[in-house]
Amino acid sequence: MSRLLDVENLTLQFDTDEGRITAVDNVSFSLEAGEVMGLVGESGSGKSVTAKSLMKLNPRNAVYGPDTKITLHLDDGPIDVMSLQNDAEMRVVRGGAISLIFQEPMASFAPAISIGDQMVEQLLIHTSLSKAQARELSIEMLDRVGISDPSARFGQYAFELSGGMRQRAMIAMALSTKPKLLIADEPTTALDVTIQAQVIDLMKDLVAEFGMGIIFITHDLGVIAQTADKVAVMYLGRLVERGSVRDVIRRPAHPYTRGLLAALPTLDDIDAPLTPIPGDIPSPLERPPGCVYNTRCQELIGPRCAAEIPAFSHVASDHAAACHLYDPKEDAA
Amino acid sequence: MSQPPLITAKGLSVYYPLRGGLIGPTPFVRAVESVNIEIAPGSFFGLVGESGSGKTTLGRAMLRAAPISKGDVYFDDGEVAFALRDLGKKDLKEYRKRAQLIFQDPYAALSPRMTVRDIIAEPLQVMGLTKTRAETDARVREIAVKCRLNVEHLRRFPHAFSGGQRQRISIARALVSGPKFIVADESVAALDVSIQADVLNLLKAIQEDMGLTFLFISHDLSVVAHVCDHVAVMYLGRIVETAPTRSLFANPRHPYTQALLSAIPSLDPDDRGRAQKLIGEIPSPTNPPPGCKFQTRCPMAIDRCRVEEPVLEIADPEHRVACHRWQELAQHGLPQEQAL
Repeated sequence: MSRLLDVENLTLQFDTDEGRITAVDNVSFSLEAGEVMGLVGESGSGKSVTAKSLMKLNPRNAVYGPDTKITLHLDDGPIDVMSLQNDAEMRVVRGGAISLIFQEPMASFAPAISIGDQMVEQLLIHTSLSKAQARELSIEMLDRVGISDPSARFGQYAFELSGGMRQRAMIAMALSTKPKLLIADEPTTALDVTIQAQVIDLMKDLVAEFGMGIIFITHDLGVIAQTADKVAVMYLGRLVERGSVRDVIRRPAHPYTRGLLAALPTLDDIDAPLTPIPGDIPSPLERPPGCVYNTRCQELIGPRCAAEIPAFSHVASDHAAACHLYDPKEDAA
Repeated sequence: MSQPPLITAKGLSVYYPLRGGLIGPTPFVRAVESVNIEIAPGSFFGLVGESGSGKTTLGRAMLRAAPISKGDVYFDDGEVAFALRDLGKKDLKEYRKRAQLIFQDPYAALSPRMTVRDIIAEPLQVMGLTKTRAETDARVREIAVKCRLNVEHLRRFPHAFSGGQRQRISIARALVSGPKFIVADESVAALDVSIQADVLNLLKAIQEDMGLTFLFISHDLSVVAHVCDHVAVMYLGRIVETAPTRSLFANPRHPYTQALLSAIPSLDPDDRGRAQKLIGEIPSPTNPPPGCKFQTRCPMAIDRCRVEEPVLEIADPEHRVACHRWQELAQHGLPQEQAL
């Protein structure tokens, strides 16, 4: 595998009336071509903002940290995403090398332009295809994602398709430019479980066929277990655990990941009690000092947890957690 | 069941007229069709199905918040009994005190301009259940404590609360009139898992504490498995299977229930076997297929399924299933490789 993406020290703050809010705090990860990374976390953890940062798709009040470095390794050499200034320069990345699938496919299509015209439009921008070729490719992609009668669907509008069909069309559109990296932000959350299973299978097939890297954002650990190679867990803007999908789900190391798994109802043991994580996720305006999870953590080891930001420690060769539990340093207090 | 049911639906149908043609009869959406259900007092009754299956409409009909087109719903708590279809205005008010709804979205359900105290107190005032302000306050505080809300925070506005806390406020408001029957419609669907567990535990604790009966509507089978004692599965307006939770999950009889269960993504990364595929999507209720409503997606469908609609049959004493082939299915299971 070859390296596709390096994210180093990604920090992102928003200037608001209530002060500067830290949404992403010193997050680093990398992705190989053909690899699927699950990005897990609750609402407010900063997972969507992190993904959008890869295309600098954030509002004007976003302020990136000075050490932030995002490198996309393409066939023609690396691209430093942070150095891209205007929309014209960003075009290589947005919709070109990187495609994005959103949660709500109804909101992602323009309502008054046919599905086909929207697919053709982006192909004309990002490829050298003629209009006729773009149309042909779009219909072929609709067919590939399992939409019946694709040439008829090509002329239809988003409201004429069901939720599952719309999400398939969204995937067809995202993949038609042959991106190197696909960001899927909760792509199955709004779908029924039977349709979710169809979409997950479809995505697995397409990864195998196109070999792009995928960042799969979801709060659903079951979906992660079914799709991802490796997992990164976020809490309040920080990465707290990363590792292979087997390690993270079978041997969760960070107390937050353990809490998430204990709170999850599963069908394996329907009599098991559901254990909530105590308290609520703090407001980003009141980020706790030290470990961001210390206000809810059940495994605090001492005053260090509220004073010192834990660094990543390896718990296995391919598995690390940012928690003082794994930091051999003696507690001074 | 020894006790008489609290809620009984008999042949309950809900039809909505479609914006229509000028000529000919008005077309109808058959959202709920000939549903028979009995909900025992003190039970936590789960209702599952995909979007468009009619589960929300069925729940609303049981609250008389959707029109009852055919059949009826009966409520009997031993003190009063109502037949909902032809409930007079006065009786409907009485019924509202006894049957309440908890909504899905705790952000949309609470008025941003009212304090938490006023939100919880509103049903008491509307129903005239308390006479003095002091009495209202006492009742609000009592229910707030039960719902694990901080009584110091009752004068705040909803925006100051997190999603989990807001849902506890919604629950408090639903409970303040002292109802017997609660319809909880996707009440944890909008919550994060860590908070979802907290709200589910709260609902269970309150149910036992106050002796309530719940109709718990959800698309999430794992949640239903954990909190409900009885489950009904809906498809296109019909109940296709109903059983005690344990029996339903250990031994699902209807091919639709089996497909739903197999579609839940497994938490085991090494268990990436393909879910038993359900082809296609739920048909539109404006144009339902003839015969069994599930036949367009069923891997077991035969000619009989395309013409004759199955009725609920008794598979076990408490386990009912509406499928022509449930006995064959119980013996042989679903066909592994079904030619499409």
